[in-house]
Amino acid sequence: MNCVETANLTHVFSSGETAVNELNLSVEEGSIYGFLGPNGAGKTTTLKLLLGLLKKQRGEISIFGESIEADRVGILKRVGSIIESPSIYGHLTAVENLRVLQKIYQCPKQRIEEVLDLVDLRTTGSKKARNFSLGMKQRLATAIALLHSPRLLILDEPTNGLDPNGILEMRKLLRKLAHLEGITILISSHILAEIEKLVTHVGIINRGNMVFQGTLESLVEQQERSSYLRFSTSDDHRAAELLKSHKIEPIPNEKGLAIPLVEKETVARINEQLVINKIDVYEILKVRSDLESIFFDVINN
Amino acid sequence: MNILNSFQSEWLKKRKSMAATLVVVGALFSPLMYLIRLLREYEKLPALYTREQFWITTWNVSWQSMNMLLLPIGIILAVGFVMQIEYNNNAWKQLHSTPQSYATIYFSKFAVLLVMTIQVFVLFNLAVYVVTVIPSVIFGSVPYPTAEMPVGKFLTGNLNYFLHCLPILSLQYLLGFQFRNFLIPLGAGFSVWLVGVISMSWKHSYVFPYLHGGLDIMREMSKSSPPLPIGLNALSLIYFAVFIIAGFVLYVMKAEKG
Repeated sequence: MNCVETANLTHVFSSGETAVNELNLSVEEGSIYGFLGPNGAGKTTTLKLLLGLLKKQRGEISIFGESIEADRVGILKRVGSIIESPSIYGHLTAVENLRVLQKIYQCPKQRIEEVLDLVDLRTTGSKKARNFSLGMKQRLATAIALLHSPRLLILDEPTNGLDPNGILEMRKLLRKLAHLEGITILISSHILAEIEKLVTHVGIINRGNMVFQGTLESLVEQQERSSYLRFSTSDDHRAAELLKSHKIEPIPNEKGLAIPLVEKETVARINEQLVINKIDVYEILKVRSDLESIFFDVINN
Repeated sequence: MNILNSFQSEWLKKRKSMAATLVVVGALFSPLMYLIRLLREYEKLPALYTREQFWITTWNVSWQSMNMLLLPIGIILAVGFVMQIEYNNNAWKQLHSTPQSYATIYFSKFAVLLVMTIQVFVLFNLAVYVVTVIPSVIFGSVPYPTAEMPVGKFLTGNLNYFLHCLPILSLQYLLGFQFRNFLIPLGAGFSVWLVGVISMSWKHSYVFPYLHGGLDIMREMSKSSPPLPIGLNALSLIYFAVFIIAGFVLYVMKAEKG
C-alpha cells in the first residue's frame, strides 16, 4: 500500500513558472523514499503541497489513502515534518520548544524526555535554542517531528548545513526509526551520495517533472547497464576499425575507445587481435558509472 | 485538538518574549509616572487625599495617558511582537503542519492577545491603587483617601476601555498575518493612530478606530460633549467584528502558509 500518493500534481507560481508538473509520486508504506533533484527542481514545493502549506492547484494528493483536503487535521496527526530550515523558537529551551508542541499533540509528557534522548539533546538544560549549533537545531527539529510518534516523516534536506559526523548520525537515527518503529520516511536531498546508503526507494525530480521513480535496486541496475569497457591503445583509429570488423561498435572518448560490456573470453580475443595487428594495448578497464553520474544522466536527459 | 490546548501552546511561546515584557512595562509605566508626581508634590497631598472627587480625579489622570497613548501604541507593538515570534523563528510552516484547523490557529493566537490585554488592565488597576496608597504609608501627614471608591464606575470604565482596544487588536492582527515585515503593520498602526490624534477635534473623529479610548475619556472629562450618532462601544464592536472576520478570511485564503 502507498503511504503517500500524488496524481498529476501540478503547481504554477504566480510568476507563471511551473514548479511541479503532472507529478505522480508513490511512497510505499515502510519505505525510506529519497526524493532527489537539483536545487529549484520542485522538491520543497511538492513537500509543502503534501503538508497543505501550499494551496493545491491541480491534481490529487492522498496520504494514508485519504485526501489531504478531506481530512487535513486527521492526517497531520500522523505526520511529522521538517521543511527547509528548522522551525525552533529561539527564546525557549529544547524542553520548552517540545512542550509547545506537546500541548497541541496532547502526547504524554514523558515523550519529551524520550525524543530528547533519541536525538541526544537531554543535557541542554536552560540553554536557549537560539544558542544551539546548526546540528543541534536540526536534531531538535527532528525531536519535534518525532514527538507525537508519527507514522510518516517528511524531511526536506534535513542534513543541510550538517558536518560529516552530523550527517552520519542523522542517517543512523533515520535508519533506526524506519527499522525499529516502522515509520515511512520521505526525505528530500539534492545530493544522492548523502542518502543512497539510507533509502530503499528513489524518486528523481527535475524542473518539476518526475524523471525516475523506483527502488534503489532498479537504479543500481541502471548503473550496471551504463557500465562499459574502455580500451586504451597506441592507435585508437585502427583499433576502432578492427573492432567494427568484429561487429563491435566502439565510441571514442578522450581516454580511448568505449565498448559495451562483453564476456571475458571476448575481451581476451579482442586483445589478441589488437596485438596480432601490431596495436599496443595500454589499458583495458571496466568503467562503472557511480550512482551520482546516473543521477546527473537522468537529470540531464 | 481543542482550542484550549492550542491556547496553552501559544501562551508558552509568548513566555520570555518581548511581548511578555511589554505587558508589564506598559501596565506599570503610567502608574510609576503618577507615583513620581505624587511624591514630588507631597505637601499638597493631605488636601488632595481628602477631596470628595479624589478617586475620580485619580482615575481620569491615570487613564488619560493610557487611553490616548500607551494602550494604542502598546497594542500595536505587542501584536507585532507576538506575530514576529513565528516569523523570526521561521515557524509558521511548523505551526501549519500541526493538526489544528485554521480557525483554531487564528483564534487561539488572538485569544492570547486578548488575555495579555486583560493582564495589562488588571496590572494597571492594581498598580494605580498601590501607587495611590503609597504616600499614605510613607508620609504620616497624608491620610488614606477619605472618599468612597466608585468601584462600579471603575469596572464599567474598564470594560468600555477594553472594548475600545478590540478594533486596534483585530486590525493589527489582520496586518500581522499579512505582512512578514514587522515595520508594515507597525507603520500602518502608528499612522492610523496619529491621524486620529491629529483629527481629535474634528466632529467625526470617532470614525478612527484607534481613538475610541482617548475619545471616551476626553468626553467623560469634558462633561459637555455633543452626542455621537453612534455609541463608541457599539462602534468598537462593529469595527472589531469587521476586522476579525476580514482577517480570518484573508488568512484562510492565503495561498502559502509558511
